[in-house]
Amino acid sequence: MIRVLVYCVLAGAIFAVGVPATRGAVGGLPTPVGHADSSPEWEQLREKMFGARKIDADSGRVSLVVPLRAAYGASVPVKIVSKLPQSAQLYVKRLYIVVDKNPSPVAAVFDLTTEVGQADLETRLRVDEYSHVRVVSELSNGELHTDSRYVKVSGGCSAPPNRDQLNLIGKTLLKLPEGVKMNAPTAVDLQVVHPNDTGFELNNVTVMFIPPHFVRSIKVTYGEARIFEAELDFSISENPAFRFNFVPHRAGELKAEVEDSKEGHYVGRLAVQPTGD
Amino acid sequence: MLVMALVNLAAAAGIPADYAPMVIEPNVKDGKSEFDLTAAQSRARLEKKRLYVYLGASDCPYCRVYETFLRQNTQDLVAEFARDYLIVDLRSSLSVKAGLLYFKVGAKSFDYKAFMERIGDERARLLVYPSVWLFDAELKPLLQMPAGAGTFQTVPEQLEILRLVQ
Repeated sequence: MIRVLVYCVLAGAIFAVGVPATRGAVGGLPTPVGHADSSPEWEQLREKMFGARKIDADSGRVSLVVPLRAAYGASVPVKIVSKLPQSAQLYVKRLYIVVDKNPSPVAAVFDLTTEVGQADLETRLRVDEYSHVRVVSELSNGELHTDSRYVKVSGGCSAPPNRDQLNLIGKTLLKLPEGVKMNAPTAVDLQVVHPNDTGFELNNVTVMFIPPHFVRSIKVTYGEARIFEAELDFSISENPAFRFNFVPHRAGELKAEVEDSKEGHYVGRLAVQPTGD
Repeated sequence: MLVMALVNLAAAAGIPADYAPMVIEPNVKDGKSEFDLTAAQSRARLEKKRLYVYLGASDCPYCRVYETFLRQNTQDLVAEFARDYLIVDLRSSLSVKAGLLYFKVGAKSFDYKAFMERIGDERARLLVYPSVWLFDAELKPLLQMPAGAGTFQTVPEQLEILRLVQ
């Protein structure tokens, strides 16, 4: 359902504004914009995605860390911090990341399990123009919580692509940057070598737009246990990278299955050994 | 006429004089342009100021846009800059790509990528004109700056940058 919505919004944006080529950074705002403010785009989206459900912006259940200005609009670092441990009684079931003004604003939807341990998440986004970035956290009891940041960058969806590693496309790497913590949330770095082309990038040689080609979904498991599944869009930066947690209870294999928009299927694996606990 | 216009454009390049920038021309050798930041750092230490290092190019339209913005807003911005910052104006050209651009500090010289990686700047991947860095007097970066200057070409946004709003 989310996927259909994304394409509807995308098609609408293209029709309405034409295909944007490389945009100069315009700078400036008509009025001051607050991090917690709404936008016309968000009002439309929230109605389509969540209907009349209450979304709590003041609960502090989830917070979003994004710089006001990033080095590049095509790679804006985003960190989601959940103020709730993943327990069977109550856990973060789904995380939605939205960039209001992007041509396709729903950047990612993560379906999480309690095996995540702690529903914190880091990634990098393309942000096409001055926009709010939002996270909506859906709890297992149906509550919705949100946080947002206003970001001042531009050109993230039309930035010149990096074509250095096309021979490695789909290579999926998993790392444990802080080692293994048995029976506790253990950080994982997942990166997929992929151009994540938006369809708005210009090939400087052919002067043609590069067709969209981006990672569509990722499924992460540990042994038989599902950690999370994610539906993604081209608002995720090239070489999509994620930091998330999982809870290892015994030795096993961490596995990431990746599908892209051209039906490419890629797998990354990492053997996890207990270090004694 | 076009030649005259280009000459005028080049003559107008750089941070406007009202801002009293410390202009640094590159030492050019074997096609490489090396900017020596040593004197700027010494002066910043002496004056107990931060450094606002601007890398512009004589033939870069976006640089002229930013410089024009500064020129048009001297009343609002000159004093704000002067209070905390020593402005350093590095004069380059678009032909100086990342591999030809060097920064010298004391006896050490770094190419663009090495310099950026050394200071932990995410813009190491791509050199964009204009570029701005904010340093303390020890050349430690104060803020991860965006590529280009397009997101701080209004007075309130320029002030956000000077005040390190993040």
